Amino acid sequence: MGLIRFDNFSFKYYGTEKLALNKVSLTIDRGEYVVITGPSGCGKTTLCRAINALIPQFHRGYIGGHVYVNGMDTREHGVSDFASLVGMVFQNPENQLVTLNVEKELAFGPENLGVEPVEIRRRIEEIIDLLDLKSLREKHPHEMSGGEQQRVAMAAALSLKPEILVADEPTSNLDPQSAEKILEIIAYLNKEKGMTVVLVEHRLDLVAKDATRVILMDKGQIVVDGPPREVLVKDICHEIGVGVPKAVEVYRELIERGIRLPGVPLTGQELATLVQEVAE
Amino acid sequence: MIHRLDPRSKLVMSIMFATVSIMFLSIIPLLIILASLIPIIIAAKSFRRWLRSMRGLSVLIVFILIINTLISTTENPFSHSLALALRLICIMTSFSVFFLTVHPDELSQAMIQMGIRFEFAFAMSMAMRYVPTLGYEAYAIMDAQRARGVELDKGNLLKRIRNIVPIIVPLIIVSIRRALSIAESMESRGFGATDDRTYLEELVFRKQDWALTILSIGILLIMIYAHLFLAMPQWMLWDLPF
Ligand SMILES: Nc1ncnc2c1ncn2[C@@H]1O[C@H](COP(=O)(O)OP(=O)(O)O)[C@@H](O)[C@H]1O
Ligand SMILES: [Mg+2]
Repeated sequence: MGLIRFDNFSFKYYGTEKLALNKVSLTIDRGEYVVITGPSGCGKTTLCRAINALIPQFHRGYIGGHVYVNGMDTREHGVSDFASLVGMVFQNPENQLVTLNVEKELAFGPENLGVEPVEIRRRIEEIIDLLDLKSLREKHPHEMSGGEQQRVAMAAALSLKPEILVADEPTSNLDPQSAEKILEIIAYLNKEKGMTVVLVEHRLDLVAKDATRVILMDKGQIVVDGPPREVLVKDICHEIGVGVPKAVEVYRELIERGIRLPGVPLTGQELATLVQEVAE
Repeated sequence: MIHRLDPRSKLVMSIMFATVSIMFLSIIPLLIILASLIPIIIAAKSFRRWLRSMRGLSVLIVFILIINTLISTTENPFSHSLALALRLICIMTSFSVFFLTVHPDELSQAMIQMGIRFEFAFAMSMAMRYVPTLGYEAYAIMDAQRARGVELDKGNLLKRIRNIVPIIVPLIIVSIRRALSIAESMESRGFGATDDRTYLEELVFRKQDWALTILSIGILLIMIYAHLFLAMPQWMLWDLPF
């Protein structure tokens, strides 16, 4: 059945001319780690918004087809019905921190849904531990770095205990080190907590090794969809301009020179291992 | 200690002090009021911040002193102006006790528990949250416009006013975009989902809050009574002979 199911879904924002999503069909199962990538303006953000009903409930426009999340049709339920099912992390951390300290921020979601204070307190402690936020506890958003803000934003989404984490370019405003930390946490949530992850990300060299699936989008449509090792070696990645990991580039370059490695490496380490195997 | 009191009891105290300050227009009683406020401020460890806000007020105070001394028709114009200025200081200090010791979060929580809708109270605390952000953004836009050759600090008054346009217009556009993105984030976290919203930290009115409230109201009633029915002793009416 699929936890998330796009059924021939199209969307055009009110007041625009072209479809932002054009007949997208897509099924994502529990526990998957899906990375979505593609050129700017291809509809990645729109796809994310469609998962928690921001489209069509918050953003108005022309709709075709349906999106079902955990069996609920996003046309028939409000955004708040999805709040404890889909945790959203957006690009700009500043705009996701609406209170004056970390505890208040983590409490915001559960409070909105009427969760008992004792339970909220328990979740706050658990998540502060999990995401290592102790040092930020009493800090005002302005006193935090972008990476710290984004970690708090992610924590605030997690305090609703969602089954699905949707993160739309969460690292694009961050320095490489903070970005890596955020992506590590996401990988951890998927591997250890079994959370279903939908991540929009350009730095495939950082995420390809953890993802179970890569989706390549262009002009509102899904162009390629499959396991990272299959998708990233395709020529279309170069045509669209996807930032393929260096190790994959080397793999392709070697094929052109007549050397075929026994597998597709996603990281430098994997590449080294494969080369070693061949050499021996 | 004072920081831990309920904002509502502190509000009652502040209103009491401000009301009493309004009832008097003689130097001695106002000095007494100020002398009882300052220990409270010191106890709240806010003396330095209070001094700073008073320094901000000093221009206005000097202004009041000069203008009133010049235009006043009373017998001792300077003495009268001094009392007026003291009264202003007392009123400001009364409310300083409140605003210097109440965190914005507590303030909005107090508003909610006094029956104001959560949405309104939250809008207020969000304004506090995003004012500095807006400030940074304004500076960034000013820098960008300068880099493009817009001369912001040149020309006469009219020109300078016109120069605000290339800052305000982008600022409004950026802010609308930001507001949409904030709304998306809040919406995704169930903002306004239910009327049975819970609160992590409800304010509780403790024994010491009742004590402060009753004390404040008591003092206020006594002062009103005294003001209406008793004559002030002569030494309290003392003023400067000019
Ligand atoms: N809020 C909006 N209102 C109108 N058009 C929008 C809005 N958001 C995105 N679009 C348009 O929809 C298309 C897809 O955008 P988006 O989903 O943001 O792409 P991506 O995230 O891949 O960069 C673009 O043409 C964009 O201009
Ligand atoms: Mg986007």
